Amino acid sequence: MNVTSSVREPLVTGGKTWADITNDICRQVEGKPSKSWIIAFTFSVLLLGVGVFCVMYTWFVGIGVWGLNKTVGWAWDITNFVWWVGIGHAGTLISAILLLFRQKWRTSINRAAEAMTIFAVLCAASFILLHMGRPWLAHWALPLGNTYGSLWVNFNSPLVWDVFAISTYLTVSVVFWYIGLIPDLATIRDRATNKISRLIYGTMAFGWNGSAKDWSRFEAVSLVLAGLSTPLVLSVHTIVSMDFATSLVPGWHTTIFPPYFVAGAIFSGFAMVLTLMLITRKVFHLEDYITLAHVESMNKVITLTGSIVGVAYITEFFIAWYSGVEYESYAFINRATGPYWWSYLAMMTCNVFSPQLFWFRSVRRSILATFVISIVVNIGMWFERFVIIVTSLHRDYLPSSWAYFTPTWFDIGDYANSFGLFFTLFLLFSKFLPVINMAEVKAILKSAGDVQTGQATGNAKVKSNETVSHN
Amino acid sequence: MGSHSTVHYNLDEKYDFTPEAKKRVLMWLFIGLAMFGVGLAMLIMGGGDHGHEVAHGATAGHGGAHAPTWTARLYAVLWHNALFFTGISLIGVFFVSIQYVAWAGWSVTIKRIPEAFGAFLPFSFVAMLVIFLLGGHDIFHWTHADAVAHDEVLQGKSAFLNTPFFLVRMVLFFGLWYFIWRIIRGYSAKEDLEGGLTYYNKTITVSAVFLIIFGVSTSMVAWDWTMSINPHWYSTLFGWYHFASWWVSGIATIVLTVLLLKEKGLLSFVNQNHLHDLGKFMFAFSVFWTYLWVSQFLLIYYANIPEEIIYFKERMHLYDGHYRGLFFFNIIINFLFPFLFLMTRDAKRQTILLKIAAIAIIIGHWLDFYLMIMPGVTKGTSGFGFLEFGTVTVFASAFIYVISTQISKLGLLAKNHPMLQESLHHDI
Amino acid sequence: MSEVKSYLVGVFDDDDVLLAAIKNLREQGAKILEAFTPFPIHGIDPALGIKRSRLPQAAFMFGATGTTCALTLQISTLGFDWPMNIGGKAHLPFPSFIPVSFELTVLFAALGMVGTFLLASGLGPGSQKTVFDPRSSDDKFILVFDIEKNKQFSVEKLTEMIKATGASEVNIKDIVEKH
Repeated sequence: MNVTSSVREPLVTGGKTWADITNDICRQVEGKPSKSWIIAFTFSVLLLGVGVFCVMYTWFVGIGVWGLNKTVGWAWDITNFVWWVGIGHAGTLISAILLLFRQKWRTSINRAAEAMTIFAVLCAASFILLHMGRPWLAHWALPLGNTYGSLWVNFNSPLVWDVFAISTYLTVSVVFWYIGLIPDLATIRDRATNKISRLIYGTMAFGWNGSAKDWSRFEAVSLVLAGLSTPLVLSVHTIVSMDFATSLVPGWHTTIFPPYFVAGAIFSGFAMVLTLMLITRKVFHLEDYITLAHVESMNKVITLTGSIVGVAYITEFFIAWYSGVEYESYAFINRATGPYWWSYLAMMTCNVFSPQLFWFRSVRRSILATFVISIVVNIGMWFERFVIIVTSLHRDYLPSSWAYFTPTWFDIGDYANSFGLFFTLFLLFSKFLPVINMAEVKAILKSAGDVQTGQATGNAKVKSNETVSHN
Repeated sequence: MGSHSTVHYNLDEKYDFTPEAKKRVLMWLFIGLAMFGVGLAMLIMGGGDHGHEVAHGATAGHGGAHAPTWTARLYAVLWHNALFFTGISLIGVFFVSIQYVAWAGWSVTIKRIPEAFGAFLPFSFVAMLVIFLLGGHDIFHWTHADAVAHDEVLQGKSAFLNTPFFLVRMVLFFGLWYFIWRIIRGYSAKEDLEGGLTYYNKTITVSAVFLIIFGVSTSMVAWDWTMSINPHWYSTLFGWYHFASWWVSGIATIVLTVLLLKEKGLLSFVNQNHLHDLGKFMFAFSVFWTYLWVSQFLLIYYANIPEEIIYFKERMHLYDGHYRGLFFFNIIINFLFPFLFLMTRDAKRQTILLKIAAIAIIIGHWLDFYLMIMPGVTKGTSGFGFLEFGTVTVFASAFIYVISTQISKLGLLAKNHPMLQESLHHDI
Repeated sequence: MSEVKSYLVGVFDDDDVLLAAIKNLREQGAKILEAFTPFPIHGIDPALGIKRSRLPQAAFMFGATGTTCALTLQISTLGFDWPMNIGGKAHLPFPSFIPVSFELTVLFAALGMVGTFLLASGLGPGSQKTVFDPRSSDDKFILVFDIEKNKQFSVEKLTEMIKATGASEVNIKDIVEKH
């Protein structure tokens, strides 16, 4: 028996019943695409088309089409990669860590957040392939041994760790997401009115029939997957941070990078989830499932991680001074006052100051403010990676080789490609799969819905101090 | 629906810190003092010749760069314990604040335990202040004006590492922590009497403020109190690593206290599910500590910059490998042991197994702090003897005395907490 | 070869009623074949006598296999097959092996456990497990009784018993089972 305190805000409003949940969520999947969806999808595909042209051109001519120079040999490609991987942290964080912490508000957003994660990781992977220059040799990054050359991959290399980390993360995230989808796919199958969709959703539902024994195993699997994914999420951005931190470059080599990158990743990932969910909520009329309570909880996580990132910035800056190492100090002063001061300013404003507005309850619960800040945060997080990568490189130990990086149209076009890919995939997902985890929301309805459902309890409004439910 | 059996708990349950119990704790305090005295005498006499000679050398003007004397070991041992118990007390306040800010419901039944921990802060403050004033020169190389005069790097840091500013920070942080703890504890007491949501909501606000202060201050005290022992060494992660070690020790102490009270037949409302959750916390944050340990070690090992690698050299190779065994034992007891031992569900639900894990973790992290502090102060002259065991017995007894007194002041259950029913019916 | 088997299907509208019914009916001696629900129900496993899943143990074994494979791969290639001097590090730099070993541990544990789950539950593309009532994936809770295994009660008696525990309907369902 579970008891829910009356101080908790309901997470499902509008007096929904279980059947309402099924209908509300399945409607999008079963109906014809809406006009706004078609417009958005067309735009995304067009953007993807332009992007694919840029990517093809980049591969054909070589990465010389980018604005890289001898000093700044890594710029937008890796910035975009880290940015997307970071965004790709929220989904698994929501489904894994919040599951372990038994946060019920997770249930309405985890499906879409996980899907978003997978697409973001794919976008990130596209930049790995892009910056290789010769993507047809991508398998050289795998430990394939002497048939392919005379050496194995170097297991000392953080880039090899990255290959393992990103591919493991992508695989496990897809598996986690898909396992969670199975019961909902079975719901769609059981409701299907035409043969084709019954066949397609039936195949995808893996024959699920919701038996108690299967649910028991399903829950065990979810819990262990959550337990495995939690350190996995941390490891991914940790290893991404080590791409930089294992080096000797001032501004890159600093021990705080692993947890600080993870915090930043969660920060930007939650912001992206908010950006997407606020739109989805509006377009699909899901206000009763993604309530202000959800938005507020997400905003709190954003404030927390934004503040952790802020403390990390200050720590880095302080220790650079404290270390007494001239190059360290210079790297940080150059960030703030050198030729890239504007990117540093953008990073500080967007990442450290803007989320502090969420200390005000009215801002936390304002859809418009949340939407704007969620975008601002992701702009800031892009600049953070740009600051770390480009400003640390552009003035190295040899002043004669100091340089400035300016992006070309192909830097921008290849970045646009990832947006095209991301939105195309997300729109396909939102049309053909249930955007909210129906089974999980049903499971919390009694304890977290605004009205108790079911004949047994009967009474519509519970006025006592405690809402007692028995699930 | 239907009928469900509700167990009725005594909502006014109190812990009585009986005179016999007090006597027993005080007896341990005196045993500790006696051991400390014996240890000190042995140290002075045992290291006599050598120590005297070096001390003489030091007075001749080689401040700082000399080999450590017996006083170095004495103050390092005292500092180590004061720091460790400061951490545990502080984590108690931190734990409670987190529960409030996160709207946690499950933890209400155990809330009064960590809530009492803050009471030790003034005592550990006095301990740290006195140890610093008496032994600061032995512990902190940067306090020697003549050493700084010949050291450009230390001169660069002197704006931050100087005695007045150091003391200001110490007083300020302890003051803020204690002040906020008093507010939280006061609200908690008033909630028992008056009920309602007022104090609950107020505590959430105060907790949020505390978390901000905590977030900044834990890193800064880690730099001050531990990192600056090796004043040339720096690591940006150190503050968080230091916090993680405190955090795990604090959680383990909460678990141990809960279990000990349960053994006395109290805390009947704390069921297996609460213990399970506490066990998960110990497990998860042991892994988290390991994560930070590995992150710091791997990056420093990989880059191999002399200024940085010296920290691990000292612990792995220097002083004839004096700390080598402890270095590896640290990973075994703080990672491998809790990881493998607490992995199963049963281990987190059975009192005896949980108790073993909690004790091991407390010892493990006490050793972790030992390893952070000793090499920098005592070089290869540290050890484990009457002095070390006596000191820890004194600090632990004092901590137990203060905490027991504090726990006995309020009921064991926050009976008017709005999430009380959630916690009483906690079932996972 | 196929045969037709008959089942009694009790349909419930509420999970708490279902839980009470399970306990009640089992006490009366009825053998429940399975329960089908739209979402996992807290406390249904002990009520039905379902043992705690051993999938976590399987995950641990798969994970340990992953660690072993990762270490074997790294030690054999970098340590023995083609030792390289990289940054002056040892040929067997164990700290550098941590990330890959961790990742493969998680990968093996996750995939192995999920694979075991799908196999054990007979789930997979093309799998068609019996759906006794399609509403059980929407808002109904279903209890299924194998009539053959409940011979001590007549079908009418069993139907009555199920109704008495709060079922909104009780239906007979014939399933063609292929062998």
